[in-house]
Amino acid sequence: MVKKIIFIGILGSILWADGGKLNSYERNCIPCHRYQPASLEKLFMEYLKTYSGELSLKGALKEFLKNPTEAESLMNDKFIENFSVKDRTKLSDEELDKALDIYWNLYDVRKKLK
Amino acid sequence: MLVSKNKGTNLLRSSEKSSLLRFLALYFILVTMILLLLGVFYYESQEKLMFSNQRTVLSNYANKQVKALKHLHNDFSHHNIYPRSTKFRSAIYDIEGKKIFSTIKHPEVIFDKEIYRIGDSLQFVKYLDDYYLGAKYLFIEVDEDMTWYKETMSNILAFGTLTLIVLIIFGFFFVRIFLRPMRNSIMLLDDFIKDTTHELNTPISAILANIEMMDTSIMAEKNQKKLARINIAAKTVSHLYQDLTYLTLSHNRESKDEWIDMKRLIQDRVEYFAILAGAKKITFELDLKDSAIFIDSIKIARVLDNLISNAIKYNRRRGKIFIVLRKNYLHVQDTGIGIASEKVSDVFERYTRFNSSEGGFGIGLNIVKSIIDEYDLQISVESVLDVGTTIRIDFLRGTLDG
Repeated sequence: MVKKIIFIGILGSILWADGGKLNSYERNCIPCHRYQPASLEKLFMEYLKTYSGELSLKGALKEFLKNPTEAESLMNDKFIENFSVKDRTKLSDEELDKALDIYWNLYDVRKKLK
Repeated sequence: MLVSKNKGTNLLRSSEKSSLLRFLALYFILVTMILLLLGVFYYESQEKLMFSNQRTVLSNYANKQVKALKHLHNDFSHHNIYPRSTKFRSAIYDIEGKKIFSTIKHPEVIFDKEIYRIGDSLQFVKYLDDYYLGAKYLFIEVDEDMTWYKETMSNILAFGTLTLIVLIIFGFFFVRIFLRPMRNSIMLLDDFIKDTTHELNTPISAILANIEMMDTSIMAEKNQKKLARINIAAKTVSHLYQDLTYLTLSHNRESKDEWIDMKRLIQDRVEYFAILAGAKKITFELDLKDSAIFIDSIKIARVLDNLISNAIKYNRRRGKIFIVLRKNYLHVQDTGIGIASEKVSDVFERYTRFNSSEGGFGIGLNIVKSIIDEYDLQISVESVLDVGTTIRIDFLRGTLDG
């Protein structure tokens, strides 16, 4: 019994420790988008096509996350009809910036083009 | 010493020649500047034409590249090879001016110029409406075809040179037309002198010969003075006649050079002019050493006569004339009115006179200079206003120890 308690305790602490290593992007973005038809990469390319530069893209995306509206959304009408516009983010500016930096670095085309 | 004739009758005075040269130089500079300006305009128009042609070609390349970028953008999760072409190089930049990807040779792109030359290449920029791969600016680069440049430059050089030559020929004729009235007046004067000279010889010779033959010992003193005045007047006219004859006729005769004893010649000419000098109470002071020069006797006589004649003419009453002869030089100095320093350089100009109250045509020193130049001698003039004038001749060549 004692062994079981110790095992569960160790497993729990490992899982808790793994959970603690998730970054802001992984914690706050991936969980919801995982179940949506438009992947985060597709969304990134859509934002890139619309806003071009790093600062413009991050600025526009941050503004949208803080104050999402149908007019500002880049998703098509069908998507909004099915999933509606997302809720306003509860993340702090600092947290949002970190998530956006990670998002940008993950899909930045400069690093991928050959 | 044989001396070639290089002093044909040239009606244009040196000042007129310099005016002609200055006008031609100014005309040449102006015409060259205008042609250069036209060349620049032509070059720029050809360059614009080339850019216009290239813009169409590069625009087509850009459109193809946009299509390729669009395809790559939409399929980026499966395919990430940047589209390349053998016909051109390209680069994409985002809205913030940061490079996304580039295959161009010259990375110093210009965002606000549609087409431009950079190094040996041409670059064309297209602004994208949809920022595929984040690209706001698409640069297309090709190596510049320099055929147009070579053709343009050879056209400019060929037509420019041809036009310049034609315009210079026109300019030369224009100048001749402008100077014709001046030339005509000088020709008229020269013709008049030439015609008059022919008519002077016989009466002057007759007057001088008869004066020489007169027995003055039996004349009354009053008549002797009158005869002396006639002699002076006749010699003055004779001197003028000699100058005019030299000027109008002697150029047609060949020089007969021989060794001339300068000391003896000077003494002879001083004696000839003694009566003229005596009329103004002018005295000669001679300091003569032996010297000889290989020259035409008539020409050296014209030189001496004119120097002495001027020294008498422009001297003050009771003045002096110093004549110094050495092996290599001769100088004649008077105590006369002198010449203003700014006019000294004009003394050898034909028809230049410094005192209108004195007679003459102002041709004496012009004759002296022409003879001096013909024999490669050196002449220099020093003059101080109201003090006197010194003329020095250096015998650099053709001298013999006396």
